[in-house]
Amino acid sequence: MRLRSPRLARLGWYPVMAATALAFGFFFATQLRSQLIPPSAQVARNQALIATVQSLESQNTTYRDRIAADRADISSLEAAAASRSASSRQLALEVADLRAHAGLTRLHGPGEVVTVGNGKPNPAAVADTSYLVGFEDIQDVINLLYQGGAEGVAVNGRRISPASRLAGEGEAVVIDQGPPLEAPFSIAAIGNRGEMETLLADGSSLGDLKSRQRDFQLQLAWQGSGDISLPAYDSSLDVTYANGG
Amino acid sequence: MAAERSWRTPLVVGLVVLLVTALTVIQVRSQAQVAASLAGQDNTSLAFLIDDLHRSNDQLAAEQLTLAGQRDALIAGGSDAADAALQAEAQRLRVVEGLAAVTGPGVTISIDAPLNEVDLQDAVNNLRLGGAEAITVAGRRVVMGSVIMQTEGGISIDGAAVHGGPWVLEAIGDPQQLAATADEMTRTLRADPRVRSSSYQASSTLSLTAVLTPRPFVYAISQ
Repeated sequence: MRLRSPRLARLGWYPVMAATALAFGFFFATQLRSQLIPPSAQVARNQALIATVQSLESQNTTYRDRIAADRADISSLEAAAASRSASSRQLALEVADLRAHAGLTRLHGPGEVVTVGNGKPNPAAVADTSYLVGFEDIQDVINLLYQGGAEGVAVNGRRISPASRLAGEGEAVVIDQGPPLEAPFSIAAIGNRGEMETLLADGSSLGDLKSRQRDFQLQLAWQGSGDISLPAYDSSLDVTYANGG
Repeated sequence: MAAERSWRTPLVVGLVVLLVTALTVIQVRSQAQVAASLAGQDNTSLAFLIDDLHRSNDQLAAEQLTLAGQRDALIAGGSDAADAALQAEAQRLRVVEGLAAVTGPGVTISIDAPLNEVDLQDAVNNLRLGGAEAITVAGRRVVMGSVIMQTEGGISIDGAAVHGGPWVLEAIGDPQQLAATADEMTRTLRADPRVRSSSYQASSTLSLTAVLTPRPFVYAISQ
């Protein structure tokens, strides 16, 4: 006995097919969403925070670009005005030298590039973060390079000035008012290569970094170069409270 | 006519499918990238990062405003304005580089402890983070680039032997920020078993007379 005519049976397949396609569509959409977005309100908050960080980093870059451009304009204007008298020219030369030593001009010359990167965590002690490079490690390398006579230093393309300071934010290193930098770090220094290499290779220097290099496979290497270029310092050199005598 | 329609329909459908697929792939990829970056940062770290970036951007905005003012004054003025600007810039840079004696509000921190070179380097960095514009350690002026190192006889700063009995650090800068930093530093130090005592004093006028000697470049060429 047949319950339906062939035509009705064929028509009956359309809603079945549509319902099946709809169900599959929902299934795939749900699956995709669950894979991309972990089921937590935390994530939405996290995404909002990341968007804020990205926007602030973009503003940060814009400000630093403007500062660099303004400093270049000022330098040109001063040079043009100073060319009118001998005393002004002398003053302009003095300022140019001071600017170079403050890190406000690009530098090039022979030097060393030290690379420091994160190691591997100890599976037996997950909370131990000794395998990560912190701002203190970068500070130690910078200080050692200055000890070796470095005349200019930059970390991941961020020039160090006499007023520079380093801070840590999670796994990131923040230098002055710049954006957070993450490992691996490349610390470039212009100066006496032989002296810097001797200090870097000295077993008693960078003791903490070298012991973590052994224990956690932290990356620590250096390479000399005949000509290194360092960018100009592009952050604040504000002097508000200290009055020069 | 019918033949034309017969190939045009699948072509339109194909293009629509292609467009939808491309959009879906772009959307999925961008979401996946965001998801990947989420894995590295927790909300607390991000919140601190935002706070720091806000502060940094405010400082950069202030610097940019100052520089724009200097540039405009140079454009508007003549050679006299340029001379005045150069004098002011030279003085500011001498302060930054530790080449000029300075006065201003600040703090004096006293630490009675056998500190090593890393302790002193950290203390100097902390003071800079706390708004210090000029610093001395044991009477020696220090900037980033000053060499504080352990020697057989103790500690030396830029080649000169220094002694702490107690160690005295002086810093001129934002008085409120520096006082807060000094307070935190001395409290933290008191928890260190090596430290016999640590204290600080805020002053409305502090004088740092020690200066550094300029070091000409030997290897570096300024561009």
